[in-house]
Amino acid sequence: MIRLLNLAAICCLIGSALYAYHIKYDTLYDTEEAAKLQRQVEAERLAISTLKGEWQAVTAPARVQVLADKYLDLVPLNVRQTAVSAADLPRKEAEGDEIGQKLEALGLGEPTMTPTSKGAGSATPAGGRKP
Amino acid sequence: MTDAARHAMAKDAPPPRRIGRIARMLGNLLRMHVDKTSARILLVALAFGAVYVAIMGRLVEIGLTSQEQASAHRASEVVASNPRPDIIDRNGEVLATDVQAVSVFAEPNKLVDKDEAVELISSVLPDLDARALREKFSKRKGFVWVKRDITKAQRDEIYHLGLPGVGFLDEKRRIYPNGNAAAHILGAVNTDNIGIAGIEKYIDSHGLEALRDAGLPLTADSLKPVQLALDLRAQHALRDELEKGLEHYKAKAGGGAIMDVNTGEVIAMASLPDFDPNQPADALKPENINRMTVGVFEMGSTYKALTTAMALDAGKINLNTTINVGSNLRYGRFTIHDYHRSHPIMTVPQIFGHSSNIGTAKEALMVGVEGHKAFLKKAGQFDRMRTELESAEPLYPKHWVELNTVTAAFGQGMAVAPLQAAMAVCAVVNGGHLETPTFLKRTEEEALAKSTQLIKPITSEQMRYILRFNADKGSGKAANAAGYYVGAKTGTAAKIIHGHYSPNKNFTTFTAIVPADKPKYLVLIVYDEPQAVPGTYGFTTAAWNAGAVAGKVIDRLAPILGVPPRFDPPLRPFPDVPISVTDLKM
Repeated sequence: MIRLLNLAAICCLIGSALYAYHIKYDTLYDTEEAAKLQRQVEAERLAISTLKGEWQAVTAPARVQVLADKYLDLVPLNVRQTAVSAADLPRKEAEGDEIGQKLEALGLGEPTMTPTSKGAGSATPAGGRKP
Repeated sequence: MTDAARHAMAKDAPPPRRIGRIARMLGNLLRMHVDKTSARILLVALAFGAVYVAIMGRLVEIGLTSQEQASAHRASEVVASNPRPDIIDRNGEVLATDVQAVSVFAEPNKLVDKDEAVELISSVLPDLDARALREKFSKRKGFVWVKRDITKAQRDEIYHLGLPGVGFLDEKRRIYPNGNAAAHILGAVNTDNIGIAGIEKYIDSHGLEALRDAGLPLTADSLKPVQLALDLRAQHALRDELEKGLEHYKAKAGGGAIMDVNTGEVIAMASLPDFDPNQPADALKPENINRMTVGVFEMGSTYKALTTAMALDAGKINLNTTINVGSNLRYGRFTIHDYHRSHPIMTVPQIFGHSSNIGTAKEALMVGVEGHKAFLKKAGQFDRMRTELESAEPLYPKHWVELNTVTAAFGQGMAVAPLQAAMAVCAVVNGGHLETPTFLKRTEEEALAKSTQLIKPITSEQMRYILRFNADKGSGKAANAAGYYVGAKTGTAAKIIHGHYSPNKNFTTFTAIVPADKPKYLVLIVYDEPQAVPGTYGFTTAAWNAGAVAGKVIDRLAPILGVPPRFDPPLRPFPDVPISVTDLKM
């Protein structure tokens, strides 16, 4: 009985030792993995800050001004163009009869000439009658 | 056979009795009898004790010896990367940041063939001085830099040379993406990423250096960005207008600042000529000094604002007091006279509007020499201004007599940094709170907590009224940008050349506040020796150059800085002043 217990104890010992080794190497592996990720994060962070710096260099006011002067025909803001509140904005003009305006634009706005029975000849263009 | 040989033989073949004894002893040792345990425990304890002693001994050995080996490498590591916090403007725009750079180093004591190494390295880096490199390598040092900040391609090439004892270190390199824009505020760093000027130097002397010396790990994210009061858009616009003015008026130098009058924050500050902080060597050139804080100048008539405020605050005069400016003031061989005189008797606002030296000097004399000195001291004009940047000690006569009070009343005979004068003018218009200017972001509460009361709030309102009057009808018309209700004062000081005031070399200043009834910003423009150009009718006085530029700056920046334009003048801009500005005669 005692021998059996001893055997069990020895097995436990070997088992726990193996387990400890296993844990140890797992930890080492995870540590390495973590360090790798840390380095990646650091590299990404650096890349972000480099890009931020580059973006700032590209959008630096001095550079944008030179480009705007060269390629855009903008003029400096006139103080009259600023609106402090919504009340300062000019009212949008009343649009009125939208369909009527469209017809007018197409030249179809004039009253339609209805042919009458007594003046059938008047339907011919007046110019044609001229001697 | 000798005795010894016999003895050895006996040892080789031990008698059977002895074998039996050893077996019994081992048997006893492994037997599980209670009477034997104490001896066994002792044996085991001794064995473990010995193991622990061995481990401790090894630890002590490691602690004592390996330090030297590690330190050389660690030292190079510390030198190599000095991360710095980013610098951002008040809206979060990046003003300075670190980027990755590669540097190549060598360990001369590990180099196999030094001449070959020099030859090969200089073939990849042709701009390197081969002789200097050979000299570096010949020293018995563990670590020398070969070159800082090389390109990735160069790194690969050197790597493929396969030289033992040559290695690379990732370093941080400081870049300033906006170039010259805020050069004087930001300053610069040296190759080791340590601040040598401006805010960069301030960051080092306020904490960063201590952290570094303590050996704490510094990474980019453990360092909080430093936020400045600066507004990059305003900074660019100010510098741009200043530069255009500098070219147009062919001035020797120029400077400008925009301050928030209520918080003392410097929203923008430029001094020309300036430098690119990416080329740090230029930062320390004498012609590139920051004229706004390190240069001292006679501020001219800008000082009249202080004198008038002082006399009003002391109750010696009020807005209706009339002063006779009809005759010149004589002090021994000195005569004080006015540039432009219209009436012999003038009121206080008129004296200010006509920029009368005689009138202002008389106002100062009413307060007296001691009172004047005490006021200037209280306004911070006698002491070095303490901001985050370096600033110069003001120059003033140590033996101060009545004549000094007379001249200092209109800004001559004492020289201060322009920003220092701006600080006092801010206090004059903001309700009397004297706040030391700051380049870091600050709230109004923080500013007020550290401020001192220079003048009474009512005096401040009277001064705003006078400044508005001057911008409306007096010498400050140049910057009266439509819609912004500007208040302003010109200042022209003749420069002293060989001990005499020069008739045509001027230092011109222009101070404007926007809007005059409830000031938010102060704009200060200065030019050193501006010339008369077509369009200025031969004048080189402040209104024609500094004033014109100030007007443009206000026009351009007021919408950006959120100052709303008003096309109808405010209803009661100065409630405690009975006569309205428009009713007052010039």
